[in-house]
Amino acid sequence: MDFSVLTDQFASLTFDGIALGFIYVLIALGYTMVYGVLRLINFANSEVFMLGSFATILVSTKIFNYTIESDPITGFKLVYTLLAMLLGSMIVSGLVSVLIEIVAYRRLRSRTSNRLTSLISAIGVSIVLTEGVRIATSSAPMGSPRLLDKITLVTIWGADIRLDTLLVIVFAIILLITLDLFVNKSRLGKGIRAVSMDYDTSRLMGINLNKVISTTFLIGGLGTGAAAFFYITVYEMTRFSIGFELGLAAFTAAVLGGIGNIRGAFAGGIALGLIEMYASAVLGTQWRSITAFVILILVLLFKPNGIFGESLQQARV
Amino acid sequence: MSINLRDSGATLWANANKWQRYLIAGAVILAVFALPLLEGTFLNTPSTPFEMVLFYPIGVYVLMALGLNVVVGKSGLLDLGYVAFYAVGAYTAGILSMHTKLNTWEILPIGIALAMLSGLVLGAAVLRLRGDYLAIVTLGFGEIIRITALNTSAVGGANGITNIPNPPTTFGLKFDLDHPRSFYWIVLILIILTILVIRGLSVRRPGRAWESIRQDEDVAELMGVNTYKYKLWAFIFGASVGGAAGVLFASKAMFIAPNIFSYNVSILILAFVVFGGMGNIWGVVVGAVLLSYIPEKIRFISDARMLIFGLVLIIMMNLRPDGLLPRKKREKIGVAGEKSK
Amino acid sequence: MNKKIKTSAALVAAFALAFGAFATTSASAATTVKIAYQGPLTGPEAQTGTDSLRGVKLAIKLYNAKNPAVKVEVFEGDDQGDDAQGGTVGAGIANDDAVVGVLTAYSGPTIAALPSYKAKGIAIVSPSATRASLTDPTSTSYGAPVFHRIVSNDDLQGPALARVATNGVKDPTVFVVDDQSSYSVGLTKAVKAALGTAFQAGDSAAKGAVSDFSATIAKIKKEKANVVIYTGYYADGAKFLKQLRDKGYKGVYAGGDGVLNSEFPKLAGKKQSEGARLTAPTVPLDVASPKVYAAFKKEFKAEPGVYSTEAFDATNIFLQAIKAGKTTRADILAYLNSSSFSYKNTAGITIKFQPSGDLSGSGLMNQFVVKAGTIKLNGKA
Repeated sequence: MDFSVLTDQFASLTFDGIALGFIYVLIALGYTMVYGVLRLINFANSEVFMLGSFATILVSTKIFNYTIESDPITGFKLVYTLLAMLLGSMIVSGLVSVLIEIVAYRRLRSRTSNRLTSLISAIGVSIVLTEGVRIATSSAPMGSPRLLDKITLVTIWGADIRLDTLLVIVFAIILLITLDLFVNKSRLGKGIRAVSMDYDTSRLMGINLNKVISTTFLIGGLGTGAAAFFYITVYEMTRFSIGFELGLAAFTAAVLGGIGNIRGAFAGGIALGLIEMYASAVLGTQWRSITAFVILILVLLFKPNGIFGESLQQARV
Repeated sequence: MSINLRDSGATLWANANKWQRYLIAGAVILAVFALPLLEGTFLNTPSTPFEMVLFYPIGVYVLMALGLNVVVGKSGLLDLGYVAFYAVGAYTAGILSMHTKLNTWEILPIGIALAMLSGLVLGAAVLRLRGDYLAIVTLGFGEIIRITALNTSAVGGANGITNIPNPPTTFGLKFDLDHPRSFYWIVLILIILTILVIRGLSVRRPGRAWESIRQDEDVAELMGVNTYKYKLWAFIFGASVGGAAGVLFASKAMFIAPNIFSYNVSILILAFVVFGGMGNIWGVVVGAVLLSYIPEKIRFISDARMLIFGLVLIIMMNLRPDGLLPRKKREKIGVAGEKSK
Repeated sequence: MNKKIKTSAALVAAFALAFGAFATTSASAATTVKIAYQGPLTGPEAQTGTDSLRGVKLAIKLYNAKNPAVKVEVFEGDDQGDDAQGGTVGAGIANDDAVVGVLTAYSGPTIAALPSYKAKGIAIVSPSATRASLTDPTSTSYGAPVFHRIVSNDDLQGPALARVATNGVKDPTVFVVDDQSSYSVGLTKAVKAALGTAFQAGDSAAKGAVSDFSATIAKIKKEKANVVIYTGYYADGAKFLKQLRDKGYKGVYAGGDGVLNSEFPKLAGKKQSEGARLTAPTVPLDVASPKVYAAFKKEFKAEPGVYSTEAFDATNIFLQAIKAGKTTRADILAYLNSSSFSYKNTAGITIKFQPSGDLSGSGLMNQFVVKAGTIKLNGKA
């Protein structure tokens, strides 16, 4: 235990932790949306993220012909290129997510009440996507050109506030508010909430289940695609195994905050980002994920449904 | 006419008298023990001798699938960190062989006991959680065990533990590289023992309690079942089987390292259980045998091996959502059972 | 009914997959022997394995074109760089009687497979397994008499890396980051020992499990380190270097042979990777022999990678033995272990083995430096 790094670099660790946390928040949204409606872990969501990250890079290299050695660009050109990358990633991720629902879940939903079956089918999809990309990329990592220069805006107590991380935070907050409004106010959003409260009754009430569920997967996928874009903007590299690495963390964050709950995903993501950063500083980076899991277990012992968890009644299997 | 493997098997068994049953069981067991003799036939696996494949992955994975089946299939507890108990067993074998002169047979009960203890500790802490919360916490536990082993230089860190001794020659059976079938026979004995115990428990109080918990935990609790206690027992039983598999694996491989015990193993074992048919012992056995054998068999298309494995999972789950050999209809609940009428 | 048809169809599908394709046993003629390559051909390390296997295939192709008496085939043993698979794959290789020698890529899987090779007396010549314990008689994973390698081990690379990293730095304060792989842990130990008092602190970030190195970088800033040594592999090494430079670190960055990959400067960025110092016991193929390099590019339409040269050489050692009429496992092992054995490698240097399996003499260690986005050989380390 060495607290000297924590005290010495507190501001910059905190800021980095929050920035990392927002990436987790964005990925966690995909898990939480689907869980909220179907009450199941969409194991293939990590692969939606992975494909989104590749799509982001491929838009910049294949459509705009930038190479990994291109210099940062500025002005209007930067804005529309980044927007195209974001859109590309969201479209790919959204489509993949909807496809996953059709391939892995739709048929099973009408045929069995066993949730584990869908879980295995989703794991199958996850394996197929990971392995497909692994073979296509011969396991090599793919780097992204740096189009958005990493400009340091201000330095507060030794912590550099950078443009890219600030963008992530601003966008994540906008997305969270939009989603929250959508789920609570819009007609489709109400449908989603109805299905998440009572699957059978909402069907009786005339809600088109398949439409609602597809929409949920689409929204989850779009959010995950946005997360992939921002991940690439900040970290500029991806590989076929990235989904597992970040998916597990994001999933932990979703559960920590209370899965199925958008505000829970927010709280869980930020908490996990900070926990990982502080744990790495005090105990060493090798203990970061263990610390995260131990804290998760402790939180769940005292609040069995996460920080913002739903009632036990709803969490039933 | 089509063949329903489960039902025709069950009918055969149900119609047989006591002696016929002994005869059938004896014949089946004998046939399974004789499997290594098929080395060199069409069953051969391209890059590994068939006799070795029979022990690992097939035998070890069948054993583990049976253990996990009690937790997931019988009691409906989603455990995504089953590899932890496998690791505890294997590391017990590794550490004890480093510091003591104990042989594999003496280590085996210790490994099982320690795995049960870790099952007890984890279970006591987390079994009040339900569903997916339980899933993520068990997953975390599996990772905690693996990363702790990786971070601890006393157990070799990333290098793991080498030179774990093979079991001593027992009843004239040699256990070494040239005698892979001895290992297979040992794991087979453990598998048969496990099946007997599970069958025994299934028709007695614990089995009924697990079944009721799986169908509806709240109702079970209302009916006076001490759900916490039986969930804990299911967990500990599963852990003991995983621990035994770990000790055997370590004594055969002679070498263990943390990355052998990754989260993928938990997922693989879970896939065996669900693929074969949750809750049905024979389904789980068939699922584990097929799914651990296929990747070895198709090693020649090595690059797309796992891709095909994933495809098989998706297709099978869509065609047979309840697994290859699902549990008997009367055990099923609600929707699926009524629909097929 | 419909359900039953599906049931049967599903069963048939599963069994067809399982038993359908078994026409893989090849009848080997008496004049054909196999050299096996055990390494990662799939999985996250597949690039290294593929690059090396190409070296193996090129050597065998050139040989088969000239020497029709005893034909040589390659046995591809894919262990995915995974210790667990190493044992199984090794047993499979050892069980194929046509295999007379084996090249093993990674140290961990090599150790896992060692019992099989020792039991069957198959000679190993490794192009890239650098862990010191393999040739350390006091270690439990001592590989003699079967194990040989044509690269210097990590105990030699450690001091070289420490030397190269601190070269020309006034009052070096060194921070060492490892990736917890067995390769990295071994190298880190040797580096720290060689650094002595210059070593300040370190951190461990598990390979492939960390996207964000901010906490590690915060430690580096706190220690005011002016030399950072990364002992893991290139993908994470590049990610780490990029973040390190973006956070304003101006000092030296150095890495071992795990980082030596042509993708490294691209992934890390041209600006960020400028001046990065690397060491490796390997020689790039274009440096070792322009002629072989041209043949390699013609054959595979791809650039050689790390250890392509060494894999080519290791294969040629077996081929030299076969040319000398040694076509059984025992003969080849005896040939390699005899004191008269010597081999002239692609770069024209004559090499011999010690009884422990290591190279005789001080061994070869090169240093490299990244300039304008490419890795340049910078002489001996």
